Amino acid sequence: MFGIILTIIAFEIGIFINNKWRNPLLNPILIATVLIIGFLTVTGIEYETYKVGGDYISFFLGPVTVLLAVPLYKQIQSLKRYWFPILAGITVGSATSVICVIACAKMFNLSKTLMLSLTPKSITIPMGSVFSEQIGGIPSITIVSIVITGITGAVTAPLVCRYFRIKNPVAQGVAIGTASHALGTTKAMEIGEIQGAMSSLSIGVAGVITVFITPALLKVFA
Amino acid sequence: MRILLQLALILGICYAGDLIHKSTDIPIPGNILGMLILLVLLCLKIVKLDHIKEVSDFFLKRLSFFFLPPAIGLMLVGDDVKSRWPLLLFLCIVLTIVTMAATGWTVQLLSKNSKDCTPTPKNSSKQSKV
Repeated sequence: MFGIILTIIAFEIGIFINNKWRNPLLNPILIATVLIIGFLTVTGIEYETYKVGGDYISFFLGPVTVLLAVPLYKQIQSLKRYWFPILAGITVGSATSVICVIACAKMFNLSKTLMLSLTPKSITIPMGSVFSEQIGGIPSITIVSIVITGITGAVTAPLVCRYFRIKNPVAQGVAIGTASHALGTTKAMEIGEIQGAMSSLSIGVAGVITVFITPALLKVFA
Repeated sequence: MRILLQLALILGICYAGDLIHKSTDIPIPGNILGMLILLVLLCLKIVKLDHIKEVSDFFLKRLSFFFLPPAIGLMLVGDDVKSRWPLLLFLCIVLTIVTMAATGWTVQLLSKNSKDCTPTPKNSSKQSKV
């Protein structure tokens, strides 16, 4: 019970702060994570005690991921006209992300576990955390890196589009959704309707493509 | 559909995904296979959005709540990881920008070749903000 109550309270505080200041840096997941870890550290309560209640909540990660089919289905019509450039773009983007993680891990001498934890960092959390565990990463590191990636995307999307001359609204939306999942999509929706729709379509598609191509990329490059 | 039946349907699909994952060598997590199953069921109109409306609204609106407990596992990571956090932060930021640029360029380049590169905007006033 304790873990569930603590998680709910921390989450509500995170949502409250985020609603009040509407700043992408004040991400509710980040705030709640800091609050819970802070509370457990200050009170000296063991992680294992928290995990008893926490496991009831994480059980629902499975059904939550299945339900991601709903937003994907709602957007799938928008794929019909531009399916080739969109799918090609998402595949190139996902592969770029994974290959760059592998290359940087080698360059900076990161451990294999860390590298595996970072490879799914551009995809949505329910997919990324489970996938990270499956390939041998640490899900908690994956989740934090996914949140940082999402915040970066939401903050820098307009600048990246301008600086790299990405002008086509479809290209902008796909780029934002592929690189920075649901957090970036909130920004894409502010930029425009097409960008928002394309970005939310790309979240699910990029997740599936990343999960499909990562094992092969790891074999070739790692 | 009644709300508990909706939940049972989603859990059933999730379970089917796990079974497929365990009984074959597919390197795709069971919950993502479950998502693909639900997507196919929706596209074939075997399951309609109305059938699962309450459950999907409930879960999708509080999506991030369910990620919190796994994130708290961060407490357990060792000092070898903790000392690399500045580097990890830097990598996450740079690689996000690289990924975004690579994706955007690819889509833009490929759609230039087809005749109509911009779709007719429904709301053109929102278009020029970037």
